[in-house]
Amino acid sequence: MMDIFPTQLIVVLAGLAAIMAFVGLNGLVLVYLERKVAGFIQRRPGPYEVGPYGLLQPLADGLKLVGKQMFTPACADKWLYWLAPILSLAPVPVALLAIPFGPNLQVLDINVGLVLILAFIGLNVLAICLAGWSSQNKYALLGAARNISQSVAYEIPLLLSVLPIVFITGTLNLYEISAGQGAWPWQWHILTQPVAFVIYFICALAETNRAPFDLPEAESELTAGFHTEYSGMGFGVFFLAEYAYMIIACSVAAVLFLGGWNGPGAAGWWWFLAKVYFLLIVMMFFRWTYPRVRFDQLLNLCWKWLIPLATINLLITALVIAL
Amino acid sequence: MPSQSLAYAVLFGHVAFIVVGALMTVLSQNLVRALVGLIMTLFGVAGLFFLMSAPFIGLMQILIYVGAVSILIFFAIMLTQSWSSGDEAQGPSRKRAVLASLTALAPALFLGLTIIFKSPPSLLVAEETEVSALGRFLLEPYILPFELISLLLTVAMAGAVILGFERRKQR
Repeated sequence: MMDIFPTQLIVVLAGLAAIMAFVGLNGLVLVYLERKVAGFIQRRPGPYEVGPYGLLQPLADGLKLVGKQMFTPACADKWLYWLAPILSLAPVPVALLAIPFGPNLQVLDINVGLVLILAFIGLNVLAICLAGWSSQNKYALLGAARNISQSVAYEIPLLLSVLPIVFITGTLNLYEISAGQGAWPWQWHILTQPVAFVIYFICALAETNRAPFDLPEAESELTAGFHTEYSGMGFGVFFLAEYAYMIIACSVAAVLFLGGWNGPGAAGWWWFLAKVYFLLIVMMFFRWTYPRVRFDQLLNLCWKWLIPLATINLLITALVIAL
Repeated sequence: MPSQSLAYAVLFGHVAFIVVGALMTVLSQNLVRALVGLIMTLFGVAGLFFLMSAPFIGLMQILIYVGAVSILIFFAIMLTQSWSSGDEAQGPSRKRAVLASLTALAPALFLGLTIIFKSPPSLLVAEETEVSALGRFLLEPYILPFELISLLLTVAMAGAVILGFERRKQR
């Protein structure tokens, strides 16, 4: 039976299982971290009742979500309604396949890894649109419409801010991009491309719908935006997917700009995870520091500042390489 | 050979996926479901590119068609008032259905026969082309079509902007 399947297929399947375990575990850790960070910033303890230091709180939350009834609104398009959360989470393992967690810790060493990730995270927009449209709810529809114009706009500077790194390294292979950077911070691409890093990070915040760009779900205006009608694990899967997209965005930032797994002393996955978690905590600090932008401010920032800035940065990089 | 049969299974799995998506696109009573079918088809075609060891083209297919074009179609659908009951779907008359399927079959037949009788030699070589080689092809031997396409896109974009401004003046 075993010889029917080639080894590479088995490696990929095992990798997918490991990645899904990693995503689920990370969801728990990030929920706890986010609530603790929120508590720290608002000068309150955060969760502390369930388990030591409240460590079991996310587990209890997860159990509650799993136990809840899955409710479909009466007028909703049933198929599309339940397809949406699945479609939101499905690209996550594929995108994480191509990320080099360590020198020997990458499931799929593909030559076009960067394009793979950028192509597959675009599916999330589609999932959110489907969720908003099929819910038959005005808040959900408004959230979905906002999400489309936001993601379509911010995808352009995101791509433009990634391209300078591709120009410098001459490859789309994430393993080679990581391996090409040294152990110390001054050997990383962030030193030569600080503008691209800032633009990338802002766009990553917008693409993952994190505050201050969380307009698609803006609680104070749209109740919960595109996932208003989802209950139980329908909502849970969207929630997990949002955290997973944060991990992907931060991992790509760590690989492109922060040297990937390289670090002083021994290089390995511990450096990679440390960088990813540092960026995630920065994202959380942003969420609890900045107020939500207005929609015209959001689009003006993108079209009038980020896109021209990213284009100029790209042209200058190309010019410097050509000289 | 077991790996051979696995390869056939994967290929025909893709073909079945594409066909189901296409049928869903054509037969669906509801615009968004039709769009989901179209996305299925585009995704299956991207998978076929992967099978032909052209992952870059496959990923571009996903990035452009699934990630951008279909999202814009979705936006257009949202701007119209098409609800999931599917009021806009009246069954076509038989004459129109026959004509439409003939129109669809003609290019499929033409392309299929061309591939069968005049297949390019690269079809049988399962070898990945480097992205840099693709870029060189676009900028050296095929620079004229490449530039013409970009000119066409620029003109289309400018035209859309002008139309948008004219609409606004009329109000």
